[in-house]
Amino acid sequence: MPHREKRMTNSKELRAESNPTHPPLSKGRSKEGSKSNEFYVICVFLFVLCSLFIASDVDAKMKGRCKDCHSMHADTPYPVLTKGGCVGCHGQFPDGTQNIITIGKTRIPQVLHHMQNGDLAGGNFYYVADGYNPDYSKGHNVLGISQPESIPTMTSPPGFIGNVVIPGGTGPVDWPEQQQLTCSGTWGCHGDRTIEDPYKSLYNAHHANNLVIDGSTVGRSYRFLYGIKGKEHQDWEYQATIDNHNGYKGDITHSTMDTISYLCGECHARFHPHPNLGGAGGARFGLWVGHPADISFSSVHGGFAGSEYQEYAIYSLESPVAYSNPTGGERVVDVDSIVMCLSCHRPHATLYRDSLRWDYSQISTDDITRTGCLICHTRKGGH
Amino acid sequence: MNLRLIISISILSFIFSLFLFSKSNGAIVSDECEVCHGLYPGMMEEAPLGEPQKFKLQNALCIDCHSNSNRDAIKILGGVRVPVVNNTVKPDKSLAGGNFYYVAKDFGDRKGHNVDGIASLDAKFKGVPPGYDKDFDPSVSGYNVEKPLTCAGSNGCHGNRNIENPFDAIRGSHHADDSPIDGSTTAKSYRYLKNTNKVKGVLGLEDADWGQNSSSKKHNEYSLSIDQYCASCHSNFYNKEKIGKMGPWFRHPTGIVLPKTGEYMNYNPAVSPPADKKEVRIYNPDAPVARPIIPESASETVKLGTDIVTCLSCHVAHGSPNESMLRWDYDAIFSGEAGGGCLICHTGKSE
Repeated sequence: MPHREKRMTNSKELRAESNPTHPPLSKGRSKEGSKSNEFYVICVFLFVLCSLFIASDVDAKMKGRCKDCHSMHADTPYPVLTKGGCVGCHGQFPDGTQNIITIGKTRIPQVLHHMQNGDLAGGNFYYVADGYNPDYSKGHNVLGISQPESIPTMTSPPGFIGNVVIPGGTGPVDWPEQQQLTCSGTWGCHGDRTIEDPYKSLYNAHHANNLVIDGSTVGRSYRFLYGIKGKEHQDWEYQATIDNHNGYKGDITHSTMDTISYLCGECHARFHPHPNLGGAGGARFGLWVGHPADISFSSVHGGFAGSEYQEYAIYSLESPVAYSNPTGGERVVDVDSIVMCLSCHRPHATLYRDSLRWDYSQISTDDITRTGCLICHTRKGGH
Repeated sequence: MNLRLIISISILSFIFSLFLFSKSNGAIVSDECEVCHGLYPGMMEEAPLGEPQKFKLQNALCIDCHSNSNRDAIKILGGVRVPVVNNTVKPDKSLAGGNFYYVAKDFGDRKGHNVDGIASLDAKFKGVPPGYDKDFDPSVSGYNVEKPLTCAGSNGCHGNRNIENPFDAIRGSHHADDSPIDGSTTAKSYRYLKNTNKVKGVLGLEDADWGQNSSSKKHNEYSLSIDQYCASCHSNFYNKEKIGKMGPWFRHPTGIVLPKTGEYMNYNPAVSPPADKKEVRIYNPDAPVARPIIPESASETVKLGTDIVTCLSCHVAHGSPNESMLRWDYDAIFSGEAGGGCLICHTGKSE
């Protein structure tokens, strides 16, 4: 995943402050001086405009030395001439203590590391990585990091439905028993999932212009999750704050395929109410039979007003919500905020079972700290 | 009478021009044998009757002739222009093959082929050609890793690689008929790169100045055979089984057509083709391509989907100021920024 610099912005106020009012010019020079001054101001203005444009454009792309990621004639070659494939770059030191590795101008998020309190938004494959006391129940068993899941019921993704509609086509008809999960491609999460080869599915994404995350290409999709929209926190949520975080896209109408939960639903279809996926079978007689995703607090039984969800008012990094048009700067959680898969889970792996954000076994109605489930279900905890 | 005189003069002129032409094509014709052969002690002495000549330090003769103590990369010996591949001071304008100066000095042995007599055994590969596979080496004996790399012979590049002795491997080629370059003999192979008698030599168009001061209009012309030649010792970097088969590549491909798609459509972005030649790009000697058919003269156009990426698109053969004998400083090429090098072809990775 590339480093995406924050766009440069300059407020009008700042620009105004940098151009203090000049005193009147003396008679006889005023006309020429005024013209010269105007010309100067115009030039400066144009320069600033051009600088902003150029800086934005340049910063939007992957920047760095070719050799930092690629090896032309490696003794042990990897696809796309990469140094170790996906994991080679994004899991450089599994027992190391860096969650973001900077090489030259390139900042590389690490999805497999051993930094204390350094897990990024997606979690950390360290908890399921072979060689590091893995517990496969804690995350996705990705090829190159973990052995395939040995539990028979996990030979295919839980809730899997074949042939579902995905951006660009349809998902696999079946999930073969021996097919292990990959980082990208048909059997993975990232890239164009209509393309089986993990590397082809991500072709050129790291070098694409991603100034706009509109889901139109892999490069312009949220975290290279093809078709998904969102706002990417520049440090992958390391040291994120409640008003500077990832912006997750949700859609309570279930009419689009650009939400983060839809991406999850491409494999875990039965857990998503979108008609392309599991459909609306999650609720019966107004009662949920599976925890819903891509629904807003306005959809809850009995309405939002006066509900326990009304007390979840300030954005929580522990249990984030999605928005219809996310900016990554939302601080307020309200009736239109959207519950998503990532409200409870992280996609890679966590310290907890089921890749949850918290230890489900420790969440109790006696709990007065309002953590985990109780961040939303505020009245289930002790008072 | 006048007509006869004119015809006679014309015929004589024609014959004379033929002589000149063959001379300019590389076959060395000079009365001053000693300027070359006198460089080597004992070279000019006659061998005892019935005994083969025995020379020592044969590789040194190549180096002595093709070295220069000043910055000139082309020198004159006995009236003959000699390409210099090893300047002992920094060369002014290196030739197409580069210059061993960079590996001979203390710049690191990653900057050139560690040829015996110029540079010591390289520290990384310990004399084993990277990517070497005996099965893909057309020479009978193969590369002997116990012995150093030489200019010619079985452990070298030039001449007959079925002959171990560097001098014997190329013997006579400098004085042989070298036209046309059809790969039939060492002399008639591009830059004397023949490999073995059973293998057709390298084909190409030899720039009269060995690529010095090359430009889009004046340069060597390469063919696919140059890649096949490099592969004799570095086959794992050429063999499709080792580099992948069309995406994703596992090693940088070579010997493949420069695609007529995507970012390659903008090859050499610094120079736009003429308005009436939108289908071609302009040749860049910093990232040259090979041709499926060698043109009669150097061509300034690159045909996408036709012309070929070669080892020499990125590397030079002898030595360069850059790691891995690259044509450019790999450390200084950044994706997302403007620049040459890799980005001459991979234009989509630049700004």
